[in-house]
Amino acid sequence: MFKPQEKRVSMSFRSYVGLNDNETKDVDIGVEENFNEQLNTRLLPGEAVVAEAQNVLMYAPLSEKQGKSGILIVTNFKLSFVTTEERHREEHGLQENLLLGENDVCLSIVDEIHQMTGDKRRRLLPGSSVPPKVKGLYIVCKNMRVIQFSFKFSPVGHGKTLTNALLHHAFPRKHHLLFAYDFREPYYNCQRTVSMFHETSDWSKELSRTRAVGWKISTVNQDFNLSTSLPRWLVVPAALVDCQLMEAARHFRSSRPPVWCWSSSQGAALVRMADLQPTITDSRMLVIQPSVIRHSGLSNIVPEARTQENIMLENVRKGHPQRTQPELMELTQDLPTPKDVYLSYCKLRDLCTPDVRQFWIQDNHFLSQVENSKWLSTVSACLMKAAKAAAFLQENVTVVLQEADGRDMSCLISALTQLLLDGHFRSLSGFQTLIQKEWVAMGHPFCSRLGHISNTEIQQSPILLLFLDCVWQILRQFPSAFEFTETYLTTLWDCAHMTLFDTFLFDCERDRLNASQDRSKPITLRTMWDWGEQFVEKDIALFRNPLYVPKKETVISVQSSLPNLALWSQCYFRWIPLLEIKCGGAPQTDLGLRALHAQIDNLREQLAKVKSGEKSNRITCPSISKQRVTSFFPFSASIDSAISPALLSSTLALNSSFVSNEALLDSQSLLNAPD
Amino acid sequence: MMGTDKKLRSNVSQPSIIEPGQPASRPDDPPLLPGEKVMGVAREVTYLCPYSGPARGVLSVTNYKLHFRSMDRDTPYVVEVPLGVVSRVEKVGGQSSRGENSYGIELFCKDMRNLRFGHKQENHSRRNVFEKLQQYAFPLSHKLPLFAFDYSEVFPENGWNVLEPIAEFKRMGVPNDMWKITKINEHYEICDSYPAVWAIPAAATDDDVRAVAAFRSRARIPVLSWIHPESQATICRCSQPLVGVGGKRCREDERYIQLIMDANAQSHKLYIMDARPSANAIANKAKGGGYESEDAYQNAELVFLDIHNIHVMRESLRKLKDLCFPNVEEARWLSGIEATYWLKHIKYILAGASRIANRVETHKTSVLVHCSDGWDRTAQLTALAMLLLDPYYRTIKGFEVLIEKEWLSFGHKFQQRIGHGDDRHSDADRSPVFLQFVDCVWQLTQMFPDAFQFNETLLITILDHLYSCRFGTFLFNSDRERVQDNVKQRTVSLWSYINSSIDNYRNPLYLPRPGVLEPVASVRLISLWKGLYCRWNPGMRPQDPIYQRIRELLVLKEQLEKQVDECKQEQKARVSRNMPTPPRLASPVHS
Repeated sequence: MFKPQEKRVSMSFRSYVGLNDNETKDVDIGVEENFNEQLNTRLLPGEAVVAEAQNVLMYAPLSEKQGKSGILIVTNFKLSFVTTEERHREEHGLQENLLLGENDVCLSIVDEIHQMTGDKRRRLLPGSSVPPKVKGLYIVCKNMRVIQFSFKFSPVGHGKTLTNALLHHAFPRKHHLLFAYDFREPYYNCQRTVSMFHETSDWSKELSRTRAVGWKISTVNQDFNLSTSLPRWLVVPAALVDCQLMEAARHFRSSRPPVWCWSSSQGAALVRMADLQPTITDSRMLVIQPSVIRHSGLSNIVPEARTQENIMLENVRKGHPQRTQPELMELTQDLPTPKDVYLSYCKLRDLCTPDVRQFWIQDNHFLSQVENSKWLSTVSACLMKAAKAAAFLQENVTVVLQEADGRDMSCLISALTQLLLDGHFRSLSGFQTLIQKEWVAMGHPFCSRLGHISNTEIQQSPILLLFLDCVWQILRQFPSAFEFTETYLTTLWDCAHMTLFDTFLFDCERDRLNASQDRSKPITLRTMWDWGEQFVEKDIALFRNPLYVPKKETVISVQSSLPNLALWSQCYFRWIPLLEIKCGGAPQTDLGLRALHAQIDNLREQLAKVKSGEKSNRITCPSISKQRVTSFFPFSASIDSAISPALLSSTLALNSSFVSNEALLDSQSLLNAPD
Repeated sequence: MMGTDKKLRSNVSQPSIIEPGQPASRPDDPPLLPGEKVMGVAREVTYLCPYSGPARGVLSVTNYKLHFRSMDRDTPYVVEVPLGVVSRVEKVGGQSSRGENSYGIELFCKDMRNLRFGHKQENHSRRNVFEKLQQYAFPLSHKLPLFAFDYSEVFPENGWNVLEPIAEFKRMGVPNDMWKITKINEHYEICDSYPAVWAIPAAATDDDVRAVAAFRSRARIPVLSWIHPESQATICRCSQPLVGVGGKRCREDERYIQLIMDANAQSHKLYIMDARPSANAIANKAKGGGYESEDAYQNAELVFLDIHNIHVMRESLRKLKDLCFPNVEEARWLSGIEATYWLKHIKYILAGASRIANRVETHKTSVLVHCSDGWDRTAQLTALAMLLLDPYYRTIKGFEVLIEKEWLSFGHKFQQRIGHGDDRHSDADRSPVFLQFVDCVWQLTQMFPDAFQFNETLLITILDHLYSCRFGTFLFNSDRERVQDNVKQRTVSLWSYINSSIDNYRNPLYLPRPGVLEPVASVRLISLWKGLYCRWNPGMRPQDPIYQRIRELLVLKEQLEKQVDECKQEQKARVSRNMPTPPRLASPVHS
């Protein structure tokens, strides 16, 4: 869709080490010569430049010695660094987002902005005043990327102007300031494989796919009168009438009574609901001291609410073919709150974004610091919970997940449980369907949790990342169970912050619907799952797992204990060049398998030709023996990952048509290698 | 873990089915190896499995192994442990002990596990097996032969021929203008812990060698380990110079080092990599040892690699065993690993090896490696550096050669470090130096999944037989001792066993490729080898082996290739039947 502009490639980083102030003049001349070429960032339709700083240095990761010079630009979409020394990612086989340049990041992925003064960093908060002279910026992104700029060669005032603009635009206070409202590119949705759960048909399809009986689709929330955060269509026990549901809903937090998400083949269902309201809205009720409410225990629940909960659970029980008593799983007390998850993430992020001084110091105590972050123990707790829910469902017991507002850990546990039990969700389109169903439709507050909008009342929390990490752990234990790869999961986390897609943009379906109908602030909804909008075929090919063997019936029994887990090195370490293994790591296995698949396809085709009597030359498969990719492929932080472009593109081209094993077995192969 | 010897590797927790019809004299007898004999049997013994609870059955002791078979379960449940693995046998409880299973035997093993058996208190029921266990777990302490000398199985391959020193030097292009092969140590008279054949600088005379030997600890003079096929930069190994507190110098040694430097025309420099922390190297001066001063050795740069001694490593592994067996403490797992320092030691060894390889490859400069005696840390470093530099050593046969050469022939004291057949379990000479090397190799296989022809099973099999005493390979401290005891004639080589079923040890992802491996020595990328250290714990599940899937694909590929060829043959035959004249396709082509 966009043609990357021609860029000059230069082989090496320039060293700006040890330049004294009196030498700066000479350098300035050199730098200005560079800028005669008129550098510009590529703007998307609707994108506008807000501020620009010239003669900026961007340091190489974990380096304060090497860098490249260019201009730094803030637009309403991204922070863009444009240089004459850009490398061609295509030549390196690296992933390339069509909407961003190599040194660009979208504004929503910016997590923290620090001002550099000498060796010291000071965090700049949105709304705080920027000092008159900004020498450098240290920017930490939500995907653990660190970008460091220096304004020491920039004209006076450029640093401050740019920092101001960045602080203002990276942390917008209103939703309609997000780029999705400005983006003017026409959109024709061409993805059809993912169920979006916007329509009742998606729900009825899911009901019939899982052969659920005892459940029906209710239209009571069609206009969001029951709950603002639930979808318009609710699957509820068949015996329940809408007025009962309305009556019960107000006793649950966020008005979220039990709703269905999934049924096992035996008939047990997975159901989610919120905690009961501890506060009293009804004037007829007893007055409870606010101080008591704060330590919300069960004792604070109003009897009326308890009764309503029981009525609901009784109906859930009746939804079971054997009328078995459902198992209530309490998530609020056993799992960390969104705030806990955020604090844990912050510690993990600090561990994964070291500067060069911290790196080797951290290495000595890395394991205890990881333990201290509690990230892995949180992952372990989530996996354990999901495994427990899966075990109940396998014993044909209905599971009811109950959590505060039912919008955070419920999404995570519910989705994980289904992933363990139902092979349908382990395909690529199935997984995206699962995210649509359990996260998007059920109202995970993406806008708040991903921090698209800056507001002190909003609790940012990477619950989605925690989920992706859990999925990665399962994938690591069961490498052939999923159609997608870790590269897909990592990419999904990166792209969750691309604020021009609607999938992760809103807090709930109502917000999405309202936004799409508001004529004063028009917005085009475009789904994340249309990956062709962001990536070319060779990058999308790497989303598919060459080891995948589809087995719909298999239940996965994941090991959730901490010693069986690992830190997700691709996602968290890929911006640290010191950890990049040349010619090593998982990509070797991945690419080796892709080549093997290509060879097999090739042979099948030869065989078909020979059998049909066609003249066939022996097709030679390009060998990947000279493959040169690093352990972080297709991501890379290092500047000298020299890969032979010809070899790489041939291997990737070979793999682009590789779909799945089943498809492969009878595919009319597209994997025609050149003779 | 596929393709391993089930008899040896049978996981204590996983019931394995006993094949009927084994040629055993009594129905209770365990399956026996050629040369193996049952020495004692105890009935109604309870094996106290830390994972699946007590199991009752029969405990047999042979001259090779301990064998327990349960009688109270539907599928018989078997525990087998070669007695060489046992480091300590103890009685638990006495005649007056109360409580179930409080009376019995406990075995402490070298492979990270302990086994506990409960016996009936009547009639001293444990006495016989306890005595037999003592005798056959520690035969050398009881004037009995090691099992390897009784073992008589015949294999199609002969592993004793794996290393032919002259041929291996020839592979590296030695002798050449600068390096010669000498048999000065043919009768182990210069150095009793070195091999019989060395490669040394061509210009060095026999007198030089003798003079240098006098100045190096235990006469372990600098000799060639590896030479770069293009740059001629070398890795040489030796022991520390006998500098002492007075700072003694030896002109011959200095000249000899200069000869090593001069043998590499690409560089006018030499790196001396001292594996020890500098403090330890300095402390060694008090004992007459020390390190090369840069004043005395012109153009040599001395680097300390900060790897600790055998005692520190032994203590580190002890802590690791406490952490991994029988159960892991989940909440403190990561900080627990950190507190053992095991991964940190691994990191320093890998970093050292990587540094050596980098100097040789990138700087084209020769490196001389030593520690104190040059048979522990030095062997780790040279072997790993060679593995990084030379793809040959990453093949199965090449890896066997590497172990034969850098570890066995250069006198790593396996007998002392492992304590084969010896009951002094707290002997200060024991240390997991070789285990640490294999762990480092495993780390490399994790970082470079397609660079090695062998798989994890090979590494685990090597370690299992490092202790088992079934093969002669890891017995004794030096070549001299092995020759003296006719090990090659009287025992079977581990490589005979491995090479006779070599397919079990192949890595299906292997792609032979030239070039140097550059590992990243950071704790962030070094992981605990759970497949080894935690393998007795059924709760520690290794990753689902992807090898199975890859093998399937490889088989499919082979079948298709065969089919294509067959079809073509068939067609050709049909064509030649139908057409008497050659078809157009086969007509000569203008060029």
